[in-house]
Amino acid sequence: MTAVGTATSSAGAHAPALARLRRALGGRRFVPYYYLAPMVVLLGLFTYWPFVHTVYLSLTEWNLRPDTPLEFVGAANFAEITGNRLFQDALRNTLIYIAGSIPLKVLLPIPIAVFLWSLGPGGQVYRSVIFLPTLLSFVVVSVVFLWLLNPIGGHAQQFFALFGLSFPNVLGQPTAALWTILLISTWKIIGFNTLLYIAGLASINRDYIEAMRIDGAGDWAVLRHLIWPLLTPTTFFVLIATVIFSIQQVFTPIDIMTEGGPANGTTNLFYMVYQYAFVVFNVGYGAAGTVMLFVLLLAVTLIKVRLLDRHVHYDQ
Amino acid sequence: MKFLRRLALALCATLPVSTAANAVEITFYHYQQGNLPTLRAILDDFENANPGIEVRDVFKPSRNITADVQAALAAGRPVDVATVIGKNIIFFLNNTPAVPMNVDGDAAWLDAYLPNFLDLGRVGDKIFAIPHAYGTPMIYINGDIFRAAGLDPKDPPKTWDEVMQTARQIKDRTGKAGVAHLHASMGDYGTMVMVTNAGSTYLTKDGTKAKFDDANGIAVLQMWQDLATSGVMPIANDRQWSTAFQAGQMGMYITSSAALRGFLKASDGKFELAVANYPLWRDQPRRVNNSGGALMLYSPPGERRDAALKLLKHLSRQDVSNRWSRESGYMPVIQDPKADPVMREYIETFPYVRPVIAQMAETVPTATWPAEGTLEAQTTVRAMLDELWAGKRPAAEIVPEAVAKVNAALAPNRGTN
Repeated sequence: MTAVGTATSSAGAHAPALARLRRALGGRRFVPYYYLAPMVVLLGLFTYWPFVHTVYLSLTEWNLRPDTPLEFVGAANFAEITGNRLFQDALRNTLIYIAGSIPLKVLLPIPIAVFLWSLGPGGQVYRSVIFLPTLLSFVVVSVVFLWLLNPIGGHAQQFFALFGLSFPNVLGQPTAALWTILLISTWKIIGFNTLLYIAGLASINRDYIEAMRIDGAGDWAVLRHLIWPLLTPTTFFVLIATVIFSIQQVFTPIDIMTEGGPANGTTNLFYMVYQYAFVVFNVGYGAAGTVMLFVLLLAVTLIKVRLLDRHVHYDQ
Repeated sequence: MKFLRRLALALCATLPVSTAANAVEITFYHYQQGNLPTLRAILDDFENANPGIEVRDVFKPSRNITADVQAALAAGRPVDVATVIGKNIIFFLNNTPAVPMNVDGDAAWLDAYLPNFLDLGRVGDKIFAIPHAYGTPMIYINGDIFRAAGLDPKDPPKTWDEVMQTARQIKDRTGKAGVAHLHASMGDYGTMVMVTNAGSTYLTKDGTKAKFDDANGIAVLQMWQDLATSGVMPIANDRQWSTAFQAGQMGMYITSSAALRGFLKASDGKFELAVANYPLWRDQPRRVNNSGGALMLYSPPGERRDAALKLLKHLSRQDVSNRWSRESGYMPVIQDPKADPVMREYIETFPYVRPVIAQMAETVPTATWPAEGTLEAQTTVRAMLDELWAGKRPAAEIVPEAVAKVNAALAPNRGTN
């Protein structure tokens, strides 16, 4: 009894202090902001402040020496980068990587996901098999594909030789090399996107399908008029994420397999920024490239949101 | 509570150990992964000989080490001795607080190095970099393929004409790839070695102008095109060529001596490995650029700089430097390595190192790139190689265009130098 009494009196003694603290902190209406604060601080510190600083660096010339002042050069870095061939090739390839990613990484996983979903629990093995490449290191994948595609006795070459054929040197031609890298990154990521679609499909009420079947709908009609519309939120998410990340996803194979060549045929803006910032240490150019990349991705994303959001069905 | 008390006591117990000696700690950035045990053993010997100094070695992959050292310096993290890739040395001299090694105190220890090896880090009278992990290009030969093609691996090709002829014979008689010549990152080092050895100038000493569009430069690059278009050199990259050679699929591969240990291991029980000097170009004397990294000094004045200089002097000792060369496979960098009996025996019993020794006097500093326009210039060199190998136009058209583009990209540096 004594202990309870002590605890009660102790709590009672703390109550006015807590009330005072609450008042000092602005009352209940500010509580959500306090919960959000840690994340906002982290985002501000590690995302928004670096971005603002990157914009600032893009307008300067600096050699990273703390004892050297930054020289403000205005938009000169942007003008110089956009005027050179490397940027033009990188921009062209970036757009190809984005455009090529949509059918390969956004649309192709849909029929695969529908097929695996239709298998029910029996499709678990196939899901695992198709998801497996996602777990592999992209460095390992790139090195293995270099071996496979090696024009001198590589495995593809040896396999084709069995039929008296010669496997083309796909990494030796600019266009073929770009599509090879795109296909490798597709192989790597398709399982992840398929998994997202399967999750989206799992939220579709199967009663709707049964109802359509009773009304005489075939597979195509079910896919066209039920599954596709109800899958649009997932498709929209996959589209946005794939476009943003597709440029980053090809970084490792570019770096390991082609270094942006042949003849700048596989480089992209992301790789160009890396080269400016970390190979030749041109901070201003690297920052300017990053800002342009940000603007490009923002523009592409806004266009997609503007054009596609109205076609997305968020309600079942 | 008891656990926390024990933990606190344990931490207290460790404190005197780390601070009792009051040792000066110096930080050594390097890219030695496979050779780390050898490097560490040398550093441990140095620590034992100098009880007041501790050397913290920091490993960074070779492709990132320049950026990592630059980042550490920018962030104010301690960097006392750093391995810097040769081609970045001018950039580092202009953009980092590198300390000359021959200004304060005794500089006689630098005389141990071959003068041509010190040229890379020489600015006027000052020496900013000393050789450490140098390589030299040489021909690696698959003896089994040679024999299958009716060739003698003990009589390797000596000139580029003989390389071409040998490669053709290998291709015709065995169906295997004849030869490949490394291009290295951005095609830079490979092109540099090929044109320099042909008597051309890859870049001027200050790195601001390319000059390999002269007759020798164009002729040797035409020969590289011929290797590709004739089919004796399949178009690929260094990784693929290296893999193919190690798999016994290629007759000759011309690459750095730094690959020797790996190739010996790969060829063991698979094929007979032989080596030969880098091929001569027509009547030109052999001139090969070193590959690899040099050591630069960054310590602030005081006991850390004194300790770092002591370490550099230790590394320049004949026995230490030669041991590093023997155990790592890098090129000896000290004058007259055969004067060391251990080294002499090593050279006599390990024939694979003979081209390296022979080419020591024929080594010229690797070309270094300036601060501005380097990426555009290097991507131009890389694109030039791709176009050469595609064989749609002759070198006489491709090379002058590429040199003009490189020089346009490097133009801003000429205004300031």
